[in-house]
Amino acid sequence: MTAETSTDQFDPRSKLVLVMCISSLAVLLQDAVMMTAVLACGWLAAIAFGVDVAGILLRLRKLLYLFAAMAVIQSIFTPGGEVLVSLGGVSLVTSVGLDRGVTIILRVLIIVISAGIVTTASSRDVVQGLYQWGIPYEIAFMVALAIRFLPLLRQEAEDVLTAVQLRGLKLDEVPLGQRLQIYSYLLMPMVSSVLGKSQKLAIAVEMRAFRAHDQRTSYRSLQMHGGDYAVMGAAVAATAVFLLAAWRIGRI
Amino acid sequence: MIELVDVSFSYDGSQQVVRGVDLHLTCGGITALVGPNGSGKTTVGKLAAGILKPGSGRVEIGGRSADGMSLAEIGSEVGYLFQQPQRQLFAPTAREELSFLLRVQRVDEDEIRRRADAMLKQFDLQHLQDSFPFVLSRGEKQRLALAAVLMNRPQFLILDEPTTALDVKRKAELSKLLMRLHDEGVGMLIISHDSRFVGDLAERVVQLRGGEITDDCRNQHRSV
Ligand SMILES: Nc1ncnc2c1ncn2[C@@H]1O[C@H](COP(=O)(O)OP(=O)(O)O)[C@@H](O)[C@H]1O
Ligand SMILES: [Mg+2]
Repeated sequence: MTAETSTDQFDPRSKLVLVMCISSLAVLLQDAVMMTAVLACGWLAAIAFGVDVAGILLRLRKLLYLFAAMAVIQSIFTPGGEVLVSLGGVSLVTSVGLDRGVTIILRVLIIVISAGIVTTASSRDVVQGLYQWGIPYEIAFMVALAIRFLPLLRQEAEDVLTAVQLRGLKLDEVPLGQRLQIYSYLLMPMVSSVLGKSQKLAIAVEMRAFRAHDQRTSYRSLQMHGGDYAVMGAAVAATAVFLLAAWRIGRI
Repeated sequence: MIELVDVSFSYDGSQQVVRGVDLHLTCGGITALVGPNGSGKTTVGKLAAGILKPGSGRVEIGGRSADGMSLAEIGSEVGYLFQQPQRQLFAPTAREELSFLLRVQRVDEDEIRRRADAMLKQFDLQHLQDSFPFVLSRGEKQRLALAAVLMNRPQFLILDEPTTALDVKRKAELSKLLMRLHDEGVGMLIISHDSRFVGDLAERVVQLRGGEITDDCRNQHRSV
């Protein structure tokens, strides 16, 4: 057991708890300053767990541009607060709008980076860890599969977007109502491909006599160590502090 | 119509998947791109359609640099059939699949219906027009995907392995259909390792090996 790399020393469960804490904060917090702090913590944690953060951001840059564009649009069309930029008496960027745009970007970044931490755990260990916590084997197995399929889904989404645009769709010129319909259509090939993949996987593993039975026994047993308790304790404590602070300033 | 000049490409920044490819595709002709698995056929096809941007060299579509064109602009001239047809099927029914993008482009509703009817008939999909594309067989999906691409009436078609899931009868039908499009002046790049199929159709065969063009010749055995 000496061959384990430094990031494998941590139990997958401590990574899951950490990521759940970070992403709940991303969803719950409303304050740009606090979210920046969470992003910094998440980024450091990701690097400490050996996640290639720059690589992830590079690969997701198209998606991030999309969110940046959304943020700019949000900040232009949201009235309220002080007017920061105005053109011929029409207020373009307001403080409230800017704040909203920035929080969208922060939220996406936090979730993307913290999701990177989960992917450093082997899916076999995620199943095992959750199962040892008394979560039914089928559900643990599904969580692990979802984590496994995350990167595939990105490739899928890019292909689908390319295909629909090549067939003459100019997304930015489509009126909102139709755009929503098209987004719902785009989910179709992604869902169907994931369903197809999991069906194939299910057949393949069942042919090799695998069943997601509850009474499975396992030779491998995960053991939580001091470091794991430290990671989980720190994650929960930091989350509590952030939430309390947000509640005190009334921004939650 | 499409011109690749000294094009190289790499997915990961280190290994060159396509190396120094020069390829000039004319408006009306049928060109076959053949080669073993992994030789870079799909990558060349995507480069030619402007889906991938070359690492070095340049790609021109209809006399314009592909760099400056949006996918929608490219799509109005070049139709692209993906190797995995399920990635380009979106709508809840086969008929809607053919219609919805034209509706977004504000094409007249009667015109859409006319074109969709013609396509469903041509591709023998009438009985499936209300089916959910996800449950169709692979060959049916492929026919539907091609029909959907043709709804835009592109000048040029790039088909990535169009025969993989087709039985002998459907292959012959596809062959006939492609010949008819050819007679209407539509140019094509057919990516395939089915040498029988492309041997009957293509006027020109380009051989790819390890990301490089090793052979580019007129097809002597063309039967039609
Ligand atoms: N999305 C991708 N990322 C990284 N490598 C890829 C990707 N797609 C294809 N490749 C690699 O590029 C090479 C050429 O692939 P491809 O163009 O699909 O060949 P072909 O279509 O002739 O079978 C292969 O070695 C393949 O593994
Ligand atoms: Mg291929």
